[in-house]
Amino acid sequence: MIKNAIEIKNLTKKFGDFIAVDDLSLTVEEGEIFGFLGPNGAGKSTTIRMLCTLAQPTSGSAKVAGYDLIKDSSKVRENIGLVAEKMIMYDRLTAAENLRFFGKLYSIPKQKLEDRIDELLNLVNMQEWKNTQISKFSTGMKQRINVIRALLPEPKIIFMDEPTLGLDPQTTFSIRDIIREINNNGVTVILTTHAMVEAEVLSDKVAIIDHGKIAALDTPQKLKDMISGSETNVFGTKISNLNSKLIERINSLDIVTAVVQQDDYNLKISAKGIEALNPIIDTIREEGGSIASITNNNESTLEDVFLAVTGKEMRDQANEKAVPVHHRHGSEPKARVR
Amino acid sequence: MDVIKILKDSYHVMAKDLLELRRNRMSLAALFIMPLLFLVMFGFIFPSGNTQQHMPMGLVNLDQGQGSNEFIAQLEAMNKNTSYMDFQSYSSIDEAKTAINKGKIYGVFILPPGFSENLTSGKSADFTVYIDNSNPQSAMQIQQVLSSTVSSMNNIKAEANVVKLGNETNQPVNPQAMIFPYIPNVQTTIPGQTNYFNFLAPGLMIMIVMMSVMTGIPEAISKEKEMGTFDGMLSAPISQISVIIGKTAALCTRGFIQCIIILAIAMILFGVTIQGSILLAFFMLLLGIFSFIGIGIMAISMSGDQASSTMIVNLLMFPMMFLGGVFYPIQQMPWFMQTISQFIPLTYAADAMRKIMLLNAGIGDVMTQILILVAFGVVTMAIAVPLFRKSMTR
Repeated sequence: MIKNAIEIKNLTKKFGDFIAVDDLSLTVEEGEIFGFLGPNGAGKSTTIRMLCTLAQPTSGSAKVAGYDLIKDSSKVRENIGLVAEKMIMYDRLTAAENLRFFGKLYSIPKQKLEDRIDELLNLVNMQEWKNTQISKFSTGMKQRINVIRALLPEPKIIFMDEPTLGLDPQTTFSIRDIIREINNNGVTVILTTHAMVEAEVLSDKVAIIDHGKIAALDTPQKLKDMISGSETNVFGTKISNLNSKLIERINSLDIVTAVVQQDDYNLKISAKGIEALNPIIDTIREEGGSIASITNNNESTLEDVFLAVTGKEMRDQANEKAVPVHHRHGSEPKARVR
Repeated sequence: MDVIKILKDSYHVMAKDLLELRRNRMSLAALFIMPLLFLVMFGFIFPSGNTQQHMPMGLVNLDQGQGSNEFIAQLEAMNKNTSYMDFQSYSSIDEAKTAINKGKIYGVFILPPGFSENLTSGKSADFTVYIDNSNPQSAMQIQQVLSSTVSSMNNIKAEANVVKLGNETNQPVNPQAMIFPYIPNVQTTIPGQTNYFNFLAPGLMIMIVMMSVMTGIPEAISKEKEMGTFDGMLSAPISQISVIIGKTAALCTRGFIQCIIILAIAMILFGVTIQGSILLAFFMLLLGIFSFIGIGIMAISMSGDQASSTMIVNLLMFPMMFLGGVFYPIQQMPWFMQTISQFIPLTYAADAMRKIMLLNAGIGDVMTQILILVAFGVVTMAIAVPLFRKSMTR
């Protein structure tokens, strides 16, 4: 029988007037890799912090590994591992000293702890760095130690908040491999990310979260099917003389659900039905726009799903600027400065 | 969660913090340099009670007789032993006053005409000392030196006169007993000479520990909060109390090391001696730390980040430093300052520490201070710990 690793019921977290997590309810089955996908400030980290007993929910409740978050918080802590956004490590201590310190906090017997440290260091190929101070490590090496630190007490559930943020591709792949490997050993993985690909390739289920609410929740494939099957299509349009007036005109079309400017030339246009392309092209040409190319991927990505369900685009942090998001009804240009 | 687990976890946190400290060369250096700097600074900038030497003084002798020359010779002879003053002769009062205005001399002895004649004719020989009191400190010192010098000169003269009278009337006399029938025999609580360091060292020890705990707790916690490592500890199945105890214990250890350094410097460099029990002194230090932790934890719980908690702590620390009676005896302060100082735990800790180290006071002698410190610690902790817990899961 499949048990639930996490059951969240009406979980809410407010910081003053700001609602970070808004009446969130969901369940995560044991052994799943569950991805929270959303932009910064969507409430992913706050949700994780509450589930790790690091933040008190304003209202609602949750069960983690079968224990109530508030009543049995220390039982919850015994069963979870956390890879937070900031690395949980002391720079002046060596890899082994760091692991030993945290291991002791879980009351792991001494010999078992030493064995476990060696085993985990081998898992990430870091055995030779065992007695080197963390400060001498590269970001990738640090993150590997950070991940195995969370695995020390053999948790049933591991929370990973942006585990590949700021890592080079090679380390990113190796971290993803580790995530798959620990999941194969039966550990439930809760993953937050704003990297679409990561959510897509790793997760069994993905919750797209925005403004503290779940916009969509399903397997990556079903999410993608959802929009391919539906009327909504996403076109990539390259216009060599792109301007804001043009964007507004496209946005004012009835068939267009969302327009997002990607850079100086590229637009992503979400519109209803495949026939929508013609009126869009007409409009662009009427305004004197010169179309360089149009793409329409039949195989949609999670990115398209995100655009379709939230009306805006997810962007990588690196080129994250205040992206003006134009809604169909033209009313609220929600420029979210992050 | 049982007590043993809490203590074990506290120990792990402490050991980790100390290991971090050991690896941090800058902190280690500061650990040694700070007490040294404090002792040397405060030891040397405050007036030590010793009289200034070689104060330049003018001499104007307007008298032509034997008596004035004798007086000057005697004055110079007496000054030779102490070297409090350096004399410089001037021919006129105006010349001497110009020298004062130029800042060359602090004052001038003016022996008027007829000085010798008054002496020989049995009148009192008046003379003027003109002192520049634009600098009150040195004016006061000159006056002190002056009165003691003149009174010893009067003594010598009086003794000679008494002996002379006795000889004339053929009576055996003890001139000392006649002139000074009362002789105080001063004994002090601490044998031998004491200096400002004897007063300073005990208070300074407790103050440095206080500062180290009060600034150290918010610093240690907010650093880990900002680094993100705090989440690692708090998501582990340990009590938050363990974090507090462990961090405090690490800071105590640091404070103890500093105390030993202070004591060593004070003993080697400034000749401070300990009369009382070292064990009791260390107990007092621990108690002092206990009474200050609460404030430190409150500061971090209320502010959240390092910058503002440091500000809160500094705001509290400065009055404590100066009103706690570490540098100045509280009794010498104006009454309202004395009232404020009664609300500062450092006052009691420093006082008790001084009594223990200098007066060999037993635990019973400082019971009042102990009780006040315990009460202060308990009350602040009772407020601080729930605040802290709340701030942790914000």
